Amino acid sequence: MPIVVKDLCFSYKQDTPFEKKVLHNISLSIKDGEFVGMIGPTQSGKTTLAQHFNALLAPQSGSVTVNSDLTSDPQVDLVGLRLKVGYVFQNPDYQLFAQTVGEDIAFGPQNQKLGKEAVKERVTAAMDQVGLDFDTFSKRDIYALSGGQKRRAAIAGVLACKPEILILDDVTAGLDPRGREEILTVIRELHQKQKITIIYISNSMDEAAELCERIVVINQGRILLDGPSRDIFKESEKLRSIGLEIPEAISVIEKLQERGFHISSIPLNLEEAIKYIAGAYLDREAKR
Amino acid sequence: MELTKNITIGVYLPGKSFVHLLDPRTKIIASGIIVILLLLIRSYPAYGAVLLFLAVAVLIAGIPAGYAFNGFKPMLPVLIFMWIFQLFLYSSPEAKELFSWWIFTATDAGFHMGALVTLRVLFLFGVTTILTLTTSMVSLTDGLESLLSPLKTIGLPTQELVMTMVIALRFVLILAEELDKIVKAQMARGVDFDRGNFIQKTKKVFPVFLPLFISAFKRAEELIIAMEARSYTGGRHRTKMKTLHMGRVDLEAGLIMIAFTAIIIYLILTTVPPI
Repeated sequence: MPIVVKDLCFSYKQDTPFEKKVLHNISLSIKDGEFVGMIGPTQSGKTTLAQHFNALLAPQSGSVTVNSDLTSDPQVDLVGLRLKVGYVFQNPDYQLFAQTVGEDIAFGPQNQKLGKEAVKERVTAAMDQVGLDFDTFSKRDIYALSGGQKRRAAIAGVLACKPEILILDDVTAGLDPRGREEILTVIRELHQKQKITIIYISNSMDEAAELCERIVVINQGRILLDGPSRDIFKESEKLRSIGLEIPEAISVIEKLQERGFHISSIPLNLEEAIKYIAGAYLDREAKR
Repeated sequence: MELTKNITIGVYLPGKSFVHLLDPRTKIIASGIIVILLLLIRSYPAYGAVLLFLAVAVLIAGIPAGYAFNGFKPMLPVLIFMWIFQLFLYSSPEAKELFSWWIFTATDAGFHMGALVTLRVLFLFGVTTILTLTTSMVSLTDGLESLLSPLKTIGLPTQELVMTMVIALRFVLILAEELDKIVKAQMARGVDFDRGNFIQKTKKVFPVFLPLFISAFKRAEELIIAMEARSYTGGRHRTKMKTLHMGRVDLEAGLIMIAFTAIIIYLILTTVPPI
């Protein structure tokens, strides 16, 4: 299910004195099986853009096509489309409402009018995908979960609808390092094992570098950069100028380059950085 | 889908117009007078006069007419329901029958009663909308507090009451924004809010209102802590950084209000009510 966005513009509170233009002529396409990071400072329009991908918002001008269906076409089954393009919101409290974890995850499949057995199967599979044990957690009270567990339950609730594309809207915000790591592991596995297309919205460059193959940088409602992760991080000046942090691994390499070390590759994570630094160090030793 | 777009309650539209410059107390008293007049009015010409007055106020305040009108949209179903209710259930001895259907009979008296009641609600909403659109939360609080201060002598906690009211008003918009997110989160899981019969639609309310209530309580608690952290104790010992002053504009507004009230009272006394 590819997504193609053409010349998309959007304003909140259109035709009121509070009208605020948040998207300016966005054109973008996302292919099957991609892992795309949508990165930008807060209020840059990332969420607004992503909500167009599953027709939660309809384009005011321009077009959004999901799997050759125009989201602005009244003939298109938008409910079906939303189930195919899963959207996990930043705050799990907006989504979780049932008494137990199991009931809440079953909500999506029940809306699809599946039978009891099929629903249970979906719930079990979804809980397994996010690493929540069915026997331990399915009967547990939603409000007894930790922050990280809540996020995982929210992701499972969307996965239970069997989406082909998964939009994750800043799902690690406000989590402690362990909770964050748990979520990132789940996401990585989803992409590798299930081959789900993932659109990862965040303002953390470190996470984007670690996870994504392609990064789209959005600033003030416009696409600033779009390309493979390594190419994006070559533009460190541009990223800093809009207030984004450079991944730590890369800024360490940059500092070493300033001090005369010769390192030409850009690392995307700590392991790569260590490899390059060790290489450069050994090179220098050998020259002595 | 954007839920907050048409909400005009609790929204302030900054400006420098005559209406904006008025002391909040002037505006509150004027609104109060109009509300009382609206409760007395029973004829169409008098409503026409109020409409003219409010239209001029909207024009002077620079509120875009379309925007002001949009605020009424969500109320329309309720108003239509109210009107139909009056149409069939209100009757007087000399009423003429318009048409009848099953056990219901519509009379001209019911028709006019429905129209008058609907107009009254519309105008009451209009007056408060103009007041909140042209008055910031802070001055609204200050104004109300100052007006209610005589009640302090009989031991009424006016400051706390006003604070509570203003927070409630402020929360309308915050909760609407949250509602927007929650509705979207559930739509993303295949809820179709447009389809289904009444019972099916009612069932769909749970996944939305549960998270909304929980988040409202959470927000309230956070607000309390934030206020306490800044040593808010409420009560009569609080002083104001900005004190209110009545000026020339308020005198002018007062004169306009006296003239307006006279006209409306004249119309109330001279025009014949339809029922």
